[in-house]
Amino acid sequence: MKPMRAHGVSAPGTAGTRLIELAKSGGLAVDLASAFDASPNPYVLLTPDLRIAGVNQAYLDVTHTTREGLIGQPLFSAFDSGPGDEAPENVRQVRESLERARDTRQRDHLALVRFSIPVRLQDGREVFEDRYWSATHTPVLDERGGVVFLLQHTTDITELQRLRQQSRRTGAVTALDSILGGAVLVRAEQVQEANRRLETERNRLLEMFMQAPGFVCVLTGPDHVFQMHNPAYAQLIGHRDITGKPVREALPEIVNQGYAEFLDSVYATGEPHEGRASQLQLQRTPGAPLETLYLNFVYQPIRDSAGAIAGIFVQGHDVTESVRAAERQKLMIDELNHRVKNTLATVQSIAMQTARSHADPRTFAEGFQARLLALSHTHDLLTRSHWEGAGLGSILEHETEAHGAHRVSVAGPPVPLPPAAALSFGMIFHELATNAAKYGALSVPGGRIMVDWALANQANPRLELTWREIDGPGVIQPERKGFGSRLIERNVRHDLAGDVKLDYAADGFVATFSIPLDREQAT
Amino acid sequence: MSQGFAGRRVLIVEDESLVAMLLETILEDMDCVPVGPASTVDEGLRMAQDEEPIDAALLDVNVAGKQVFPVAQALKDRGVPFVFSTGYGEGGLPDEWRGQPTLQKPFTEAAVRDALIKAMGLADV
Repeated sequence: MKPMRAHGVSAPGTAGTRLIELAKSGGLAVDLASAFDASPNPYVLLTPDLRIAGVNQAYLDVTHTTREGLIGQPLFSAFDSGPGDEAPENVRQVRESLERARDTRQRDHLALVRFSIPVRLQDGREVFEDRYWSATHTPVLDERGGVVFLLQHTTDITELQRLRQQSRRTGAVTALDSILGGAVLVRAEQVQEANRRLETERNRLLEMFMQAPGFVCVLTGPDHVFQMHNPAYAQLIGHRDITGKPVREALPEIVNQGYAEFLDSVYATGEPHEGRASQLQLQRTPGAPLETLYLNFVYQPIRDSAGAIAGIFVQGHDVTESVRAAERQKLMIDELNHRVKNTLATVQSIAMQTARSHADPRTFAEGFQARLLALSHTHDLLTRSHWEGAGLGSILEHETEAHGAHRVSVAGPPVPLPPAAALSFGMIFHELATNAAKYGALSVPGGRIMVDWALANQANPRLELTWREIDGPGVIQPERKGFGSRLIERNVRHDLAGDVKLDYAADGFVATFSIPLDREQAT
Repeated sequence: MSQGFAGRRVLIVEDESLVAMLLETILEDMDCVPVGPASTVDEGLRMAQDEEPIDAALLDVNVAGKQVFPVAQALKDRGVPFVFSTGYGEGGLPDEWRGQPTLQKPFTEAAVRDALIKAMGLADV
């Protein structure tokens, strides 16, 4: 039908002009409504939430209902396809078609659907009658393209379907069958079923992408416009609004990191790109500094039916935690190796130097083991503090307790020592105590040792410590320095960057130490 | 003991005094004269630049948490041969120092001697 023209064609006063004028004045609405009502085809007008907004007479006739009973009701409360087993499936098919029409704003067809409707028998009983329908669902749009109504046009094809089933049962494909469109119906039914399967499959795939633990997104076109991404991807990029934006605009920070270039290359060549523990700086919180992440990912080209590249499928997962763990582990192994090898070299040195001052293998073994145990004791102390350090008091106590706690009196404030200094002090106190037990105050009953210390110079703290032996035997200056005194002097000067004075005074041996406690500042 | 080593002045950079003492003892047994030992990279650098003369050096790679390479560079600039000592082995050295004679901790007297012979280009005696 050609549209009617407003002026020029018809002479003034003709029926056509009057109709147009009527339409312009809005009075035609009444006439359209009566045309809708007068149509022999059954129509229902539905709101987008599938409530009945209007029905025509043909619809009321075919469904044996009244207008008052229907208007405002949800469609599937008014018509629930009855109590049969297939009712939920029938309802689902109709509902999906309506929702498809609404969501895509495109007309949707249901070639064949079984849907039961209530019929009141003459004796007043209500029964459900199985009926077959063909339905078309058309969205009615406002000027901005929004869906205001859905128009359902149903055709009752029950008779057609019965005839077709009959002819199928008898096995004869009759001319009547083809005339009735049986073959067309069968095909339509098949296409509809195939579409339904595809739709289900598509939804299942989409669901899989959305719920995948790894990140997934689909980029389209040469500018890599975000078409779809899953929650894991949203989480990765800090939930920014990226849909419909090109990659370089949506995630500007990645531009100079090579990733946009990889996408360009995948799009241009069709060769997939794979990244393993690939480093990436990403803005995960607005305004915050970029975060460093490590990702395993694949960029795969998506080809259209003609084989041309249409976009890129991105999937991967965040491996930052495992990369960090591997780094930490390597650092720890390197550090452990360094410490073990250094400790072994230290033990080797103790063995060699001890051997040089002992001609007798038995006394060598004694001296060597005692030094080894002193080292081990300090290790125990450090292990208790997870190698953060040890207190001067506990080290001193550890190394002297074997000689009787009452014979060694200590006085001084708490001094925490870092591991290396703790190990040095452990060896120093061991040598002092051993020497005292062999030649000094601890070699006779009644001899005692007084150890006192203080912290001097608050800004640049130094430990001033005195080891004083009293009531011991007469002291004689040794002719040559033994390993013990060399070890003490070397440890203090070399490892602790401090000073020590060993004074073999006649009335008792005195060792005075002055050690910087903050070695970084002292050197 | 060996003529090649007699009187040679060998700088030691090592933060562990006991290990430094062991190296000194070994060097003295070889008739060398130990120089140092330096217990920090800064001290080692000062000695590597100022001490006269130095015939060779034994450098611990990790000196009190710092890497000894500035000292190695200073010695290289002066043309003084040196040996790294490390718990990590040669694999722990950065590429530019690979191939340098290296002592594995803990080390034997013979290993110190062999590494110095290699570094100083002396004939084995």
